[in-house]
Amino acid sequence: MAEEQQQIDDVLESDYQAGFVTDIEAESLPPGLSEETVREISRIKGEPEFLLEWRLQAFRHWLTLETPEWAHVNYPEIDYQDISYYSAPKKKTDGPKSLDEVDPELLRTYEKLGVPLDERARLAGVAVDAVFDSVSVANTFQDKLAEEGILFMPFSKAVHEHPELVKKYLGSVVSYKDNFYAALNSAVFSDGSFVYIPKGTRCPMELSTYFRINAANTGQFERTLIIADDDAYVSYLEGCTAPMRDENQLHAAVVELVAHDRAEIKYSTVQNWYPGDENGVGGIFNFVTKRAACRGESSKVSWTQVETGSAITWKYPSVILQGDNSVGEFYSVAVTNNMQQADTGTKMVHLGKNTSSTIISKGISAGRSQNAYRGLVRVGPNAENARNYTECDSLLMGDQCGAHTFPYIEVKNPTAQVEHEASTSKISEDQLFYCKQRGLDVEDAVSMIVNGFCKQVMRQLPMEFAVEAQNLLGLSLEGSVG
Amino acid sequence: MKMPSKKTLTDLATPFANVTADLGQHVAWLKSLRLKSLVQFNKQGLPSNKHEDWKYTSLWSLSQQEFTHKAEESDVSAEQCDQLALLNDNYRVVIIDGIFSAQLSQLDNLQDGLTINPLSTEEGLAKAQPDLGRQIDITKAGFNALNTLLMNEGFVITVDSGVQIEKTIEVIVINTGTTPNLATHLRNVIVMADNSQATVIEHYIGLTDNVSLTNVVTEAVLATNAELNHYKLQQESSNAFHIATLAAKQGSKSQWKTNNISLGAKLARNDVHSQLLGQQSHVVMDGLYLANNEQHIDNHTRIDHTVANTTSEELYKGVLDDKSHAVFNGKVIVHKDAQKTDANQQNQNLLISRGCEIDTKPEMEIYADDVKCAHGSTVGQINEDHLFFLRARGLDEVSARSLLTYAFAVDVLNRIPSEEIRQALSAVIEQRLPQGGV
Repeated sequence: MAEEQQQIDDVLESDYQAGFVTDIEAESLPPGLSEETVREISRIKGEPEFLLEWRLQAFRHWLTLETPEWAHVNYPEIDYQDISYYSAPKKKTDGPKSLDEVDPELLRTYEKLGVPLDERARLAGVAVDAVFDSVSVANTFQDKLAEEGILFMPFSKAVHEHPELVKKYLGSVVSYKDNFYAALNSAVFSDGSFVYIPKGTRCPMELSTYFRINAANTGQFERTLIIADDDAYVSYLEGCTAPMRDENQLHAAVVELVAHDRAEIKYSTVQNWYPGDENGVGGIFNFVTKRAACRGESSKVSWTQVETGSAITWKYPSVILQGDNSVGEFYSVAVTNNMQQADTGTKMVHLGKNTSSTIISKGISAGRSQNAYRGLVRVGPNAENARNYTECDSLLMGDQCGAHTFPYIEVKNPTAQVEHEASTSKISEDQLFYCKQRGLDVEDAVSMIVNGFCKQVMRQLPMEFAVEAQNLLGLSLEGSVG
Repeated sequence: MKMPSKKTLTDLATPFANVTADLGQHVAWLKSLRLKSLVQFNKQGLPSNKHEDWKYTSLWSLSQQEFTHKAEESDVSAEQCDQLALLNDNYRVVIIDGIFSAQLSQLDNLQDGLTINPLSTEEGLAKAQPDLGRQIDITKAGFNALNTLLMNEGFVITVDSGVQIEKTIEVIVINTGTTPNLATHLRNVIVMADNSQATVIEHYIGLTDNVSLTNVVTEAVLATNAELNHYKLQQESSNAFHIATLAAKQGSKSQWKTNNISLGAKLARNDVHSQLLGQQSHVVMDGLYLANNEQHIDNHTRIDHTVANTTSEELYKGVLDDKSHAVFNGKVIVHKDAQKTDANQQNQNLLISRGCEIDTKPEMEIYADDVKCAHGSTVGQINEDHLFFLRARGLDEVSARSLLTYAFAVDVLNRIPSEEIRQALSAVIEQRLPQGGV
């Protein structure tokens, strides 16, 4: 037992593997937030007037808001004047056009993280719009996607090349009035990804972005907008790692998805940002607003997330089921260890007829962490025959952690069928004994049991992510049971 | 919580601004308790929708009423009382328009080791004193503060160590409607000593459609190995406001079985709270709500598992018809070190008609790892297959629906041990479901 404990301790104490800082000179704005900051960001990016106007409206609205406090998390107050709102890698040339022109230091960083950006990317069939801090520096597979008429580009580029699309859809799912962090993001967002899949097109490859937070003290405010036109299909992958930092870093992203008639969007996330050390020092504050609108009939949006990182995770990927027969899905694994806090879940808002939604949430808490599921299922008065199935299970490891469930169910239509069930348990001694007796060591046994616990969610992940996600789970948890 | 001004609406408290209670003017401990609650009530007022616990229940209509606290004399005959009673040949406490009726109560020949007193008597106050106010938190709930400030009547039951009470104690609270807009603030205390056992029914009845407010707090204390069966049947008038708190502290090996049936009132709110303080204590918390017209029924329950080896079971069911609105919120909190907790909570809702609304929120907060906790919540309709089965056997649509609705509802009575009480309550439910509607 003592030996096992040692092994466990070793794993628990092992350093955050993705924690390193790339030494690149960054062009940053000084810390501080004012209308001037917003104008400056807009100026640097050479944005059209409508966007600046929108940012300013958002900023003025943000000033009227108070920090929300309802979530089951604790953290020191954030000083929004102490954050630098823009940081871009210095360009050696005026915009790299191929991989050769990309800063080799950057490429090495991606390599360490395992981003298939170079040759491997082509083999893996993944197009990467890598976001390094706030400016997208490299795009691959542009040509191939362009052939299909698919637009996959940095947000700032889309603003210039397709302002009509941006103007039409930006803020149409997540209004700048939506919440505190959405308003902040709308005012100061630096860049992000833009995807447009034209009518009847099936995107031939998984689209992927790698978000990283690099320069110290730079809050990252990403804005992602994905539009799938009638009968289109796209699968989008988002993965995150961040270098080790001692200060808390704020991340307040906004993701908007729009699915038109019979379109389908599959959005997968693996989030492994720096969670802080075992005493809860440092780590990322991840306050994200993600929402999808199933506008068209028979449209479908599926969120899959594996959350292992961040000191605080606070996000609720949601689906507004407007179109008749539309479908929303949410598959989530949230792992918290040490002092991490997660308050995550989803919202399914049924408005159209015959809409259905599925929620599968698996929470795993270890160490002294707190892990909460918070979800809303709302059935409007006109949503005939709406159907929801929710299952949220929690696994507890250690007697210092907490697992919580706060499901809100609001039904205003008598034809609705809504089911919610939740359970909480720990890894049983029997399960462990069974595995150990067959020669598995504790860590392998725990990893196997946990992966089994999460299987329903893991199998929703695209192949490219499944392996990484499984490894992450193992890494985040091994040794939490002694 | 940092912004109390936003979360409470002191304006709502104005109907009670200048009321004082007569009871216990000369009793020092009560005076000091009233003073504390006055401070609390002035601070909190009554909760607005900004308060998470009152998110779906608006007290606006209540705040628009003018209430009187002086009841005029009313007349209820012994026969009438017998008819209203759920059971015969039992101990009976009758409270009419907020005043204890010695004449209608049946408290002769009490079993040894049992005392039943109205709160308004010297004995009642003396028996209540050690436990009154200790099961609730007036700093967290405006209505509890208000009740403590204005309580004038109620019942106090004590059962001595090792005594098993054979007869059921039925408390009948009748609102005759003689005094329109009457507000009553009742405080009940049940004290169960070691190894004692008793069954108590609280039965609230409204005789007319007049507006009234019943703000009741029942506190129960269960010592080691005590067993309390507690049932509540609420049949207030269609314009009544019924605000109730039921709170118990449970010692080791104690068992509390409670069933909360809400049929009446325009706006009903129940807060049921069990604190499991001793090992191997057990609580069964069941409830049923049948709502029609524009009724609003809100049930908030909370179970605190504070020590190891405690168990809880909870089943709340609801049937909603017409434009009714029901709210369910069930909290199960497993505190740190409450290992081996076993908690199960279910909330099931049947929606019958267009225009009704259910907001349900089963919650779990768990701070210990070796636990088995589960909860579930469903919202749905009568199963078409079940309906077909009955129709195929010759039942008409209305009878078939009625039967299925009844079957769905009476399910919550299954854990009541007494056959007599179960039958009496199912008869009440059956009466309420004559045509397949509520």
